[in-house]
Amino acid sequence: MSANLAFQLSFRNILRHRRRNAMLFAAVAVAVLGSSLSMGLVRGWQYDMMDGVVGNLTGHIKVHAPGYLDDPSIQRGFQLASDYQPDVPSEDLMGWAPRISVPAVILSERETRGIQLVGINPSAESISFLDKVVIDGENLNGPGDGRMIIGKELARQLKTRVGLRLVIMTQGSDGLTRERGFRIAGTYDAEGTGLEKAYVFSGLETIQSLLDTENVTEVSIRLNEEPKKLSIQALLVDFFIGLEVMNWEELNPQAAGLYLFTDSIIYIFFFFIMGALIFGLVNTLIASVMERTKEFGVLRALGMNRRTIVLEVVIESVLIMTFGMIFGLVLAYFSFLGLEGGINLGVYAQGMESFGMRAVLYPIMRVDDFVTIALMSLFMGVLASYWPAKRATRITPLEAMRG
Amino acid sequence: MSGEVVMARGLTRVYQEEAVPVHALRGVDFSLSSSEFVSLSGPSGSGKSTLLNIVGGLDRQDEGIIELDGEELAPLSEGDLAALRLRKIGFVFQAYNLVPVLSALENVEFIMQLQGVGSAERKERAGEALKSLGLSELQDRRPGEMSGGQQQRVAIARAIVTNPVLLLADEPSANLDSETTKELMELLRNLNETQGMTIITATHDPMVMGYAKRQVHLRDGTVERDEVVTD
Repeated sequence: MSANLAFQLSFRNILRHRRRNAMLFAAVAVAVLGSSLSMGLVRGWQYDMMDGVVGNLTGHIKVHAPGYLDDPSIQRGFQLASDYQPDVPSEDLMGWAPRISVPAVILSERETRGIQLVGINPSAESISFLDKVVIDGENLNGPGDGRMIIGKELARQLKTRVGLRLVIMTQGSDGLTRERGFRIAGTYDAEGTGLEKAYVFSGLETIQSLLDTENVTEVSIRLNEEPKKLSIQALLVDFFIGLEVMNWEELNPQAAGLYLFTDSIIYIFFFFIMGALIFGLVNTLIASVMERTKEFGVLRALGMNRRTIVLEVVIESVLIMTFGMIFGLVLAYFSFLGLEGGINLGVYAQGMESFGMRAVLYPIMRVDDFVTIALMSLFMGVLASYWPAKRATRITPLEAMRG
Repeated sequence: MSGEVVMARGLTRVYQEEAVPVHALRGVDFSLSSSEFVSLSGPSGSGKSTLLNIVGGLDRQDEGIIELDGEELAPLSEGDLAALRLRKIGFVFQAYNLVPVLSALENVEFIMQLQGVGSAERKERAGEALKSLGLSELQDRRPGEMSGGQQQRVAIARAIVTNPVLLLADEPSANLDSETTKELMELLRNLNETQGMTIITATHDPMVMGYAKRQVHLRDGTVERDEVVTD
């Protein structure tokens, strides 16, 4: 009953000072909008970074032989059954790709570079960055394609172009040096990834033939939902006995650390913005309490207990935060719709690349981020009301009515 | 238990105004029986409002004993006093002190809401209280839309709707013109005579004093005269 009365009084008091509270709603809405957008931008960067790590041939989960990470040679390969299919629920699996990935040297007429030679099945590479790159020339047409595709930047460094032949030298399964000429089918532009300087791709069977092996060095698996990686990893560990099954965080702990750190940044932004707002809210609530000193005194004189008065102040604060928060989230939602095409940071593209970011940033807002903002806003509403509520309860009826 | 609505013995109250102590009450004895209508009168500083506030549990004496409806007030906590006021006392203030964001009906319901009375019963009793005071047509109006006299009558409705043991009115007519004051005091007299409401008013207005059957006159914190008025 007291709660109903407190709610009624709080709501009516908010309407009593429409202009002042409208300003406060707007302030809360802008703070929530600002928090949401900054959260979304940082989240977008975070996902972009993760996407870059996962898409750069790592995948969400990768299988390789023990010791391969320290010594990535064909001697650390493993056999994969020709009819192998990952035992992963289909709704969770985006795709998988078997590969051979070995260090090699590429030689043009004028230059020599160290590279990573990767044998692929092009149709399976929808899970990697190769699916999105722009290829000048032709892509590989299958695992038996004897040509290669190289990065545009590497082509520039080697002073070569599409159609020309380059020699690649690497170590075969017998430990002896193998070399072969590959014609360049196409050059790829992996904008902002740095991969085009290092990776050269050819058909999987071509490389197996070059290295005189039927093995692969890795199986990369990409999932539809990143949070499922641990449970899927557990399934694959049971299947790939004797092999290492690692997720992207284990494969790239630096990126994983940055990914986690980004979560902290997101919430630091949020607390700074909302913390600044709280000062405004506290100030307004204190003013509201001071204006109603006599009123609170009368209420106490008539028999209202301190708890109900505290509840009234707290509800008033929470209502202000709630209305402002809802309005702010609605604005944020439409802002995100408007930013669906991304924010073009082209001017800063070169600098962004060094951070693993692409030139176009897509803000992302997860449902749990919206929920977090909503709940934290309500919590801050309660927090902001603490001091004003304490002030209200210190008012004695007699002092208040005398004043 | 004394059997009286109010029993006060040796009440003393001293306020500290900067460095100067102000003796608002000096050993005052006062008692009130059920259905009495008493006015406390005296010049400013005589102690009438202080006595009223102590009887109403809004202030605490420095010395002496005060009992309301057989319950001693001194040992009660602030919360207990608030609960006691809610259950047993109806207040009518000089400045009306209606809740500005509630309508007349809601202002009268308000006390019952604090007491936990159900919604349907609250509305019915509040409506009847306003009707008995001729205020039915004002029930949806807010205090800002009513005259002083109307607001004070709503305040009286609020004070009596819960059938309190005691009705305290501190300078109830101070902000009203003489015509409205007359109407108001007739109302209080009617409540006393027809419903047996026990009433204390504190006033310095001779017209208001005249409506009470017993007049207690204070000066300098002591009772100068305590007399029953015969018509």
